[in-house]
Parts: sequence; C-alpha cells; structure tokens
Amino acid sequence: MEVRARILARIRKALKERPKALLPEHPHLRLGEEPLDLFLRRLAENGAEGHLLNQEGAVGLLKELAHGLPGVAYGKGVPTSFRLFPELPPEAAPLGVSWALFAVAETCTLALSSEDGRKAQLLPPTHLVLVERERVYSTLLEAFSEQKALPSALGLHSGPSKSADIGQVMVKGVHGPGRLVVAVLT
Amino acid sequence: MRVKAKLYPKEAARLLQEKPSVRASVTGATLHFERNRLRAYGEIDAEAWRERARRIKDHVLTHLDHYLELAEKRLRENGVQVHWAEGPEEAHRLLREVVARHGVKRAVKAKSMLTEELGVNPLLESLGVEVYETDLGEYLIQLLGEPPSHIVGPAIHLSLPEIQRLFHDRFGTPLDAAPEALAQVARGVLREAFLTAELGISGANFLVAETGTLAVMENEGNIRLSTSLPRVHVAFVGIEKLLPRFQDLALFLPLTARAATGQRLATFVSLIQGSAQPGEEGPEEVHVVLVDHGRTALLADPEAWEVLRCVRCGACLNACPVYRQTGGHPYGYVYSGPIGAVLDPGLLGLEEAHPLPHASTLCGACQEACPVKIPIPKLLLAWRHRAVEQGLAPTWEKGAMRAFAQVMGSPALYRLFSKALRGLPLPQALQDHLPLLRAWTEGRGPLKPSPRPFHELWREIKEETHGG
Repeated sequence: MEVRARILARIRKALKERPKALLPEHPHLRLGEEPLDLFLRRLAENGAEGHLLNQEGAVGLLKELAHGLPGVAYGKGVPTSFRLFPELPPEAAPLGVSWALFAVAETCTLALSSEDGRKAQLLPPTHLVLVERERVYSTLLEAFSEQKALPSALGLHSGPSKSADIGQVMVKGVHGPGRLVVAVLT
Repeated sequence: MRVKAKLYPKEAARLLQEKPSVRASVTGATLHFERNRLRAYGEIDAEAWRERARRIKDHVLTHLDHYLELAEKRLRENGVQVHWAEGPEEAHRLLREVVARHGVKRAVKAKSMLTEELGVNPLLESLGVEVYETDLGEYLIQLLGEPPSHIVGPAIHLSLPEIQRLFHDRFGTPLDAAPEALAQVARGVLREAFLTAELGISGANFLVAETGTLAVMENEGNIRLSTSLPRVHVAFVGIEKLLPRFQDLALFLPLTARAATGQRLATFVSLIQGSAQPGEEGPEEVHVVLVDHGRTALLADPEAWEVLRCVRCGACLNACPVYRQTGGHPYGYVYSGPIGAVLDPGLLGLEEAHPLPHASTLCGACQEACPVKIPIPKLLLAWRHRAVEQGLAPTWEKGAMRAFAQVMGSPALYRLFSKALRGLPLPQALQDHLPLLRAWTEGRGPLKPSPRPFHELWREIKEETHGG
C-alpha cells in the first residue's frame, strides 16, 4: 500500500470510536480604540515608526529617508509619484519602499503581497511601507475574513527584524530590515 | 537525531555538574519568556481564546482524514507538489531527488523541529550540500554541533561569553564584541547564503485546509528569505498542523505568539499559497511533505491523542521548574520539557522515553500556560502508570512505594522511621550502595534531615501558643 493510503487508513482506524468535536465560530471583537490610533501606537511599541500623512507629507518622508542614498528599491505597486530616486536592485539598495495590501491595528501588522515584490520588503536595511488609510482593519479576524484571493505569498510584518538569541540581548536588523517606517496615507 | 531519552535524569545531573552555567542561562531566558507570556495573556480573555483554540484543534484531529485530503487537494490546485512521508525514509528520498534534479549545492534552512526529527541536515550534508541554519540561535548551535535546547529559543543555554568565544574562534571577532556586532557578522555570512542557495527548507506552524495556506512564524526575517529567494522551497509539515479555515489563523497566529514570546504577533508571518506567478520573485517550485513519524500512533491512543493539539510554542518549557534547571539537552530528544515528556513516549515508544514523564513535579504550571489546554500533568501520570504496567519502572521503585505506603499509613511506624532517619547523613559509602538512596542522591547533595521531626516541633508550638 502506498504511504498516503497507509497513513489515511491508520487515521480512520484511530478515529473510529472517537466522538467528533464540533467546530466553533469566531466572535468578532470590537476594539476600545480608533483602529488608526491603535495601529500607530502599537507600531511605536514594537519599535517601528508610524506616521499619518497626506501625499505631500509622505513624499517628504521618503525624501528624508532617501537623503544621501545612491538609490531606492521599489515595490511594483508603489505609485510613480513616489519614484523620485534612482531605482536600485533590492540586493544593493539601502532603502526599500513597498505598497501594503492592508494593515491591522490589533497587531500593528502590514500585509505585503508577493505581487509587490518580496526582495524590496526584505533585503534593504530600512523599509518604508505605504498603506492607504481606508485599508487599516481593526482586527486580524476582520482582515482575514475579507480576503477573497490570496497572493502566492503574503508577508505579515509587525515591526523591525529582531532576535534575542545572543545572550538574551535584543538586536535589531538580524536578517530583515532593522528599521520599519510606515506612512498611512490620508 | 540520536535518541538519548533513556539516560534522563543521569544526563541532567551530568550537565549540571559539568556545565553549571547552563542553569543560569536557561533560568534567565525562560523566566523572561514566562513574564512576557503572563503579560500578554493578561491583555486578552485568555481563557476564552485557549478554549476556542482547544475546540478547533479537537475538531481538526477528530476529522483529520477529511482535512488532510482537503488540504492536499487545495495545495495541488495551488500548484504545490504534495508528498506523504511515514518518516525519514520518504523525506530523504524526496530531498535526494530535489538535490539531484536542481543541482543543489547550498541550502538555507528555517528553524523546524520536524526536520530535526527527520535528520534533514545530516542527509543533505551526506549529499555534499552545504546547509545553513538561518535562525540566529539555530545557527549558533549548528556551529557548535549541538541540538536545540528549546523549541523557540534553541540556544538559550548559551551565555554571551560562550557565544563571544565561538565567534572569536570562528570569525576572529574580539572576545568582548557586543551582541549587535556578532549579529552583523552572522547576518553577513547568512545573507550570502540566502542569495546563493538553490534550496530553501522550512517547517510550518499551520496548514489551512480550506485554502492550502502554509503559515510560518518568526522574528528575524530568515524564514521569509528562506522561502522567497531559493529556486525550490520544501516545507515539512506534521499531519497534526492543520487548521480548517483561513479565519482560524486570526486566532492561532496571535495566540501562539502570545504563548511563545508574549508578542501580539510574530514580527514576520509568511502565508504561502504556492510557487511564484510568472514575473514574480519567489520559488519556482514548492513542495509540501506531510509527515506522520509517530503521529497516527498517538492519534489512536485514547488518552495521549490530546498532545497532538500542541502548537510548539514552548510556553510549558518556560513554566516548568524542572526544565528551567537544565534546558532541553538532557531530555535526549527533539522535544523537551513538559510537552516532550508527554509527546516523546508517544512518538518514540515508552521503552525509549520512559524516564521523561518523571521530569516533573506535577505542579501543573505547564497546563496553565498551554494555549491549547493540553492536560499535561494527567498525561504524565498516565505514562508513568503505563511504564509500571509494562515493567519499565525500576524494580526497587515498586518495593519502595509499597514500603512508603505502609510507613505513611501507620503513625507509629512513621514516628519510628522519622526518628531513625535523624541518624543521617548516612555515611557516603552506604548512600552510594543503597539503590533507593543512590537514586535520590545522584545529581543532588547528600540528605540532610533537620535535627528534629516536624511532628515534635508541632506539638511544642501548639503547647506554647495554647499555653499547654
């Protein structure tokens, strides 16, 4: 008998006498705070930087971050109005700019699609993420319930890359970006 | 990996004698994790979250055939190649085939306990593949040639000076280099590996049946890189890792993070549907290997099947006063601490692991911490009971227990023995030769009873306070 059939047969035999457990529903919880305020506050708690900005302000933030740098790696979804600096491959870029599918206040999470390009999200030491204000959900459950189609990889980023594996001392920027800057666009 | 679970608690005693620094490192790290978990549980209705998680896992496990078939179907629809493995044999066959077909010279690995079970690294190395563990802690112990000592923090048994010494010997960094500097050195080595590896290997925290989504949690970014940059991604998934619905991730991802490290969510979560679309960055080929390796045997066990709910958060390790003394190495298998003590006898067979259910004081802290409410103390007792029934318990234990019951059941006998014991400490030679005493004193200091028994002291206290 092939492995698959053997394993499934053993499972069915194991479960023969076992009462079936029911699948519970998830209650939608309401947060006691404006999602946007909570999102920005929790980003700061997680060691990231969050700003609520209009188009002009966000471009200003990008200019500040890119000042003196040879170039920037852009995600595919980043609007042309932000593509003001020479484009570098993510392997060489000191700054990556991404366009998030959505954000979640509860966990201060940015959802980044593989369609936008994974390397710019991961390789540069600094990561600027742009997300539209109306794409900020309050809870993970709300956000996950509304996703119709999933990209080949969805990355959920909730802060800068970190590790405490060396002597229990927290270090940032271990493999992914050590600095995460978020602009919520009004 | 080589199983040495039978050598517990001798190995624990040896470790504490030979490397006393381990106790301080492990205790410090686990208490830190434990404090963070308590704070994170305090922020939510933890009882309700845990109860819902328990019920969802029980639902999956009691419908496991259905969900496995559904997951397989969805994965195939997403273009993922699905394989089934009883254990190392099938897993190794697939890896050999992938390595040959893609000319793999280098592999980057995300931390995965299941790949430890399956001996993935030794196999790849035997094929001439350079394997890089990319989780920082996992990389440290790979350099040292050690197994992980904790599910979440594989290198928590190492002190900063030990790591500084390792990097000094290996990379020539100064002996007083700061953790940041050491991390940058590791980042440099591993970044090169990420950019050149042909194969990325990961485990999975969850596999969603309804959508065929693999979910993997981490804090460093190494899993996102391992599953994004190489041409081929192979994920090893235990058959118990299934969740029914995509929505269920909205509970399990944050609950597991809170239990493991006290975070609201892991810094990075990869939700993987399959290989890259045309024009997209990402692997051309994604394989999922559904692995049994003892899990169906556990599922058939009328008591122990509940351990299959485990999400591998390590919260029970952090809560355990026994684990905190030594870390995971003395347990002699991939899974240590309370969960190891109830999981390993099921995965390995009781004969191989019967000392482990004794690595506990039955205080119950593990069950309180567990995000899926596994009744660990009850299962520890169940395994102990079976070890006695199967004649695996040492012969002196039975006699000693019978004698103990008689003494405790008779006040006169109790007083007599308690008086006799005042004559301790027994000469070392006697302690070494009485098997019962030796079992106690191995790895502990000599027995030093207080000069007077409690019942005498109590009588005195009562007389004093009540004016006798």
